Amino acid sequence: MNNRIRLLAATVAAAVLPLAAQADQVADVKAKGELVCGVLGTDDPFSFVDPKSREIVGYEVDLCNAIAKKLGVKPSLKQLAVAARVPELQQGRVDILAASLTHNKEREALIDFSLSTFVTGQKVMTKKSSGIAQPSQLAGQKVLTVKGSTMEQNIKKVVPAAEIVSFDNSPQAFLALQQGKGVAYVNDETSLIDDFSKLGAAQKDYVILPASISTEHLALGLKKGETGMKTLVDGVLRDLEKSGEADKLFAKWFGPDTKMKFPSRPFKYETDKID
Amino acid sequence: MADFDLALLTTGPYHAQLVAGFWLSLRLAAGTLVLALPLALVVAVLRMMPSRLLAGLGFGFVEAIRNVPLLAHILFWYFGAPELLPEGLKQWLYRGNIEVAAAVIALTLYTAAYMSEDIRSGVRSVPREQLEAARALGFGFFTSMRLVVLPQALRITVPPLISQTLSLWKNTSMAMVVGVGELLYQAQQVESATFRSFESFAFATASYLGVSLLITGLAVAYEHRVQGARRH
Repeated sequence: MNNRIRLLAATVAAAVLPLAAQADQVADVKAKGELVCGVLGTDDPFSFVDPKSREIVGYEVDLCNAIAKKLGVKPSLKQLAVAARVPELQQGRVDILAASLTHNKEREALIDFSLSTFVTGQKVMTKKSSGIAQPSQLAGQKVLTVKGSTMEQNIKKVVPAAEIVSFDNSPQAFLALQQGKGVAYVNDETSLIDDFSKLGAAQKDYVILPASISTEHLALGLKKGETGMKTLVDGVLRDLEKSGEADKLFAKWFGPDTKMKFPSRPFKYETDKID
Repeated sequence: MADFDLALLTTGPYHAQLVAGFWLSLRLAAGTLVLALPLALVVAVLRMMPSRLLAGLGFGFVEAIRNVPLLAHILFWYFGAPELLPEGLKQWLYRGNIEVAAAVIALTLYTAAYMSEDIRSGVRSVPREQLEAARALGFGFFTSMRLVVLPQALRITVPPLISQTLSLWKNTSMAMVVGVGELLYQAQQVESATFRSFESFAFATASYLGVSLLITGLAVAYEHRVQGARRH
């Protein structure tokens, strides 16, 4: 490379880099007067269009509102496609992602994550009469699940000796459990709770094992290296937890009175670590 | 296809999975064929019995089975029929390989219904007078059938029966709806584990096509032999 160009490049870099490092997103957002949250708007109850008001509402929208309130700015929602979430955040077109975003190792290289805002897992339902209390007891037993699902992969990982029988859809796998064609039925927790509620009077004969065969953490996505913003967002989440507001939010979107029908909140806003 | 991963199909766990599926498909087809052929023969004879009741029974069997999709048959024999059994027997069945058993029963009945029709049309192609002549000579219905009509009829029936076997081979793939780990099921499994759709379905396609061509080849060879024999 030509020496003069090299010098020029170095000068430009020296001039620009400190600027980028100094710029604080929190200050920017305050100056702008609005916090842009990237949401899906298609994932009930995380963020979806309320058919009555025609506005995007949901669990994650409430979280976005709480953060905007803390910043003293007005929240604004931007609807994103699933695949566009991370690029939109990286390019600064949204300030944070509240878009049913799974926290995983691959994404940690690209963006930062808040405390986990929702923890869900894949679990095992069985008949009480099977005497099974731990997923490991499923070795050598018939386990029912859905073809092509991550459940199928995960149960194979956790209990390699289980005999897996997969069906085209979860109602068939659930029916096979009821008929006793397998000892256990694996699905994600929300679906299991939904299926369990359909059992009616037979609920007393069934149990969902407390141990998860895999856990999935959803979190808010933050721009890489914006520590000020991360501290602020995590602070808001911890405050929600402390004040009991987090429990209320959970009950509002996932509680027994909703169609999700979670009997209780299975997680807290406490960690941004995943296993 | 620059990135066709042939190694996925020739070695390793996915290869083993696909091959296991292929063998299970072959065993499903072979087991069904062995059970369906005699059943088809019984049903065909039943339909030609002098007794109206027995002939009606055969007719009822064929129509009831042919007019319901195979998928419904398999689901019925897996989810429906075993539930009617007494508890103890049911539990015993469910501990075993109920998936394969239900699939074989459904496939057998389904295939037998079609095959019995082929056998019956073969029998009808043997002039009626032959049966009458045999009866006039003092043979009973069954003996006339066994010694005079069926040997001629079955020879005519071989090509359509081979064609039914071809259908049977492809129909085994339906067993996957009740979780039988046959070829197409395993191909789907490999696909969802590796995202290698092209490779896994290429394996399945080649396997189905290979065996189908083999069966077709059998039909052609038979035709040549019979026609060759006729010329002499």
